[in-house]
Amino acid sequence: MTPALELRNVTRLYPGEPPIRALDGVDLRIDPGEMIAIVGPSGSGKSTLLNIMGTLDRPTSGDVLIDGIDTASLGDRQRSGLRSGRLGFIFQSFHLLEGMRVVDNVANGLLYRGIDRSTRLKRAREALELVGLADRAATRPPKLSGGQRQRVAIARALVGDPALILADEPTGNLDSQTSEDILELLEDLNAHHGATIAIITHDLEVAERIPRRINVRDGRVEDTAAPPPIPVEVPA
Amino acid sequence: MRRPTRSTTRSRLRLRDRFGTGLSGLGSRPGRTLLTALGIALGIASMVTVVGISSSSKADLLAELDALGTNLLQVRPGQSLFGDEAVLPTDAATMLRAVPTVLDAVGVTSISGDVTRNEHDDDPYGLSVVATDGRLVDVLQLELASGRSIDAETQSLPVAVLGAVAAERLAIADASGGPTVTIDSVKFQVIGILKPHALHPDLDRSVLIGEAHARDDLGIDPNHSAVYVRVEPSLIEESRPILARTANPVSPNEVEVSRPSDALEAQTKVDQNLQNLLLALGGVALLVGGVGIANIMVISVIERRSEIGLRRALGATRGHISSQFVIEAAALSTLGGALGLGMGVAATWIYADSQGWSLAIPVQALLAGIAAALAIGAFAGLYPATKAARLDPADAVRPHG
Repeated sequence: MTPALELRNVTRLYPGEPPIRALDGVDLRIDPGEMIAIVGPSGSGKSTLLNIMGTLDRPTSGDVLIDGIDTASLGDRQRSGLRSGRLGFIFQSFHLLEGMRVVDNVANGLLYRGIDRSTRLKRAREALELVGLADRAATRPPKLSGGQRQRVAIARALVGDPALILADEPTGNLDSQTSEDILELLEDLNAHHGATIAIITHDLEVAERIPRRINVRDGRVEDTAAPPPIPVEVPA
Repeated sequence: MRRPTRSTTRSRLRLRDRFGTGLSGLGSRPGRTLLTALGIALGIASMVTVVGISSSSKADLLAELDALGTNLLQVRPGQSLFGDEAVLPTDAATMLRAVPTVLDAVGVTSISGDVTRNEHDDDPYGLSVVATDGRLVDVLQLELASGRSIDAETQSLPVAVLGAVAAERLAIADASGGPTVTIDSVKFQVIGILKPHALHPDLDRSVLIGEAHARDDLGIDPNHSAVYVRVEPSLIEESRPILARTANPVSPNEVEVSRPSDALEAQTKVDQNLQNLLLALGGVALLVGGVGIANIMVISVIERRSEIGLRRALGATRGHISSQFVIEAAALSTLGGALGLGMGVAATWIYADSQGWSLAIPVQALLAGIAAALAIGAFAGLYPATKAARLDPADAVRPHG
């Protein structure tokens, strides 16, 4: 089975004297259908790891394979194509375009694939159905609650049926009940619709309900599929 | 490990969507869009107005010239070889009428004399007296504001026809009711008033009297100070030398033949310099508008960092991002251009209407206006678009970094 994502000995240096090792020889493999948590305090290299997994940044050395495709030799157009075709992003601050209807925001997930508009809208409505917001398709984001906005963002991430969904602190801006709902939704999408999801979080409560956790500390990862408890640094 | 094939991984944005994303930014900030477009609108409007007003006025003048006919020539005495004022032979007009290419000819004689309202009036009115015959109205295509003109019946009577300015200065509005004027204390009855005449503004300030009356009753020599000649329209240039030789066979060099419409046409060319200056000013306004667009677009790129980051995460290439902003700037500018065309046409229409002209704006000027707006907008968008495309996507998706 082709892994959804594979990192091989990935190192990312930021220029400085001496250079900062944001990632230091990271190996990571995520298989299709998996749901993992990437946990670590701020400054641990978590964000760098996310950027590299999402092809928004390139490693200084090492290989990044998305859905079996080596990204090292790809130009901007192909890396962008990889993002539009095989990756879905969910952000802490939702990143919805306020002036656009909900269904258009979701359809934007397919915009850069060269799919015609009516097909995009049809699939966007299906995705909204999945996240339970079919009735808000014509609403604009400012009229939605935080939890509803994040559902729209989730629909946008999964509308293209990506090999991997990267969720960056998806509950960071939500209250605990809404966070719970969002996590249940992600778990449901993983369990019943085969979505492969990596959740990046510093929130222990979020991390603890996910069976496989990657702990990031000082640019190194510690992969554990073992059940809790595991020692994790919690930021203030 | 799979090698990527181009088709599986290349990001693609349909042409329609390219325009759709480019235009989406404008609708979400209508107030700013309008204000920014206004800069371009004013530039285009001023250029269209300049071109529109000058071409409307020119069209009007040319129409007038056409109506008056460009086949009217003026034969005047020039200077003799010794620098003295030459004189036209008294039968010049009669001889000219015999030339085959001449349709008609009429002589006019300037007479010195003070025109006043009555014998007790000694105000200077600055009017001249011209003796002529009944052909003048036909040859010059004069129009009467009221009454009748000098003709075969009246040319031997003590009657006068006033030019438009002369009538105004003498405060005679109407030829009915028998108003009179005096010329050197001799009373003349006013039988008609002329309309203003574009080709012969000097006639507007004249009082016309009958040539036969001047000769027979006042004892004035009809030494024509000018002969107006209508020639065959297709043979104007060929007729000129013949006219001089016919008017004065002994010394044709002492005759000047000119075309009054040439002088009027030359006037339209003088205006060209002023028009160019105004156009240049409009161009400066347009450039300022372009700089305004570039400015707003730079601000827009900064404000929309997270949108740019999002689009990159969704798979937009750097090219998609830059084309989005170039299209947005070009659309903004074109909108301003269209607005400016409307304003310019409206301003021209209002001005032309107030001058009694008909509206004449060359279509090329309108097309050039839109094209200029489009080009300036696209150019103004280049720098902000490049800035947007170069944003680090990882950085841009981060909340307010």
